[in-house]
Amino acid sequence: MAASIPEERVERLHDLAREAAREGADDRARSYVRRARRVAERHRLGLPTRFKRFTCDDCDAYLVPGRNARVRTQDGAVVVTCDCGTHARYPYD
Amino acid sequence: MHPTTLPRHELAGLHVEVVESRNADLVGIAGDVVDETMQTLVVAGASGSKQVPKAAATFRFRLGGGEAQCASERASGRGPRAERVIVDGERLVARPARRTETTTPNKWR
Repeated sequence: MAASIPEERVERLHDLAREAAREGADDRARSYVRRARRVAERHRLGLPTRFKRFTCDDCDAYLVPGRNARVRTQDGAVVVTCDCGTHARYPYD
Repeated sequence: MHPTTLPRHELAGLHVEVVESRNADLVGIAGDVVDETMQTLVVAGASGSKQVPKAAATFRFRLGGGEAQCASERASGRGPRAERVIVDGERLVARPARRTETTTPNKWR
């Protein structure tokens, strides 16, 4: 038994959110992202790095670069801008 | 995901069918679960999405074989190895994030 139920659940919600976002069901994707955050919060889990980088901190949208997110590489950091205007920055490496 | 853990697991994305209900109109509703509230499941079937009260129904979920990933799980869910799990809707009445926390024994059938 590798992953606990909440860990599996966050992982599944991540996959579901990605699929929903690719199909254009943004609100459904958003509800999956919110639920994944809530499950992680209730179980005191950290979120996977991929999840953090592909969701908007502010509006919980699942980010699909080129469709609802802009990705620019700058000096020392990648900057992802959501359609809602929120920037997220993370370093190279 | 395993039949024993299903009532505590994420239901969205699973194929479900209402097999029994006090409300005869609910019986036979089938499709993929797209969303969940405390009291209801939203099932997207062939004739649009239906919101089914959990407490009034008995559900049959279809599980793919093993610990498959979401996409492949859905693919294999249509295959011959799919497992069918019947769950009394009463067990699912809880807020979506809260459901995973219950430590009571799983009395799925």
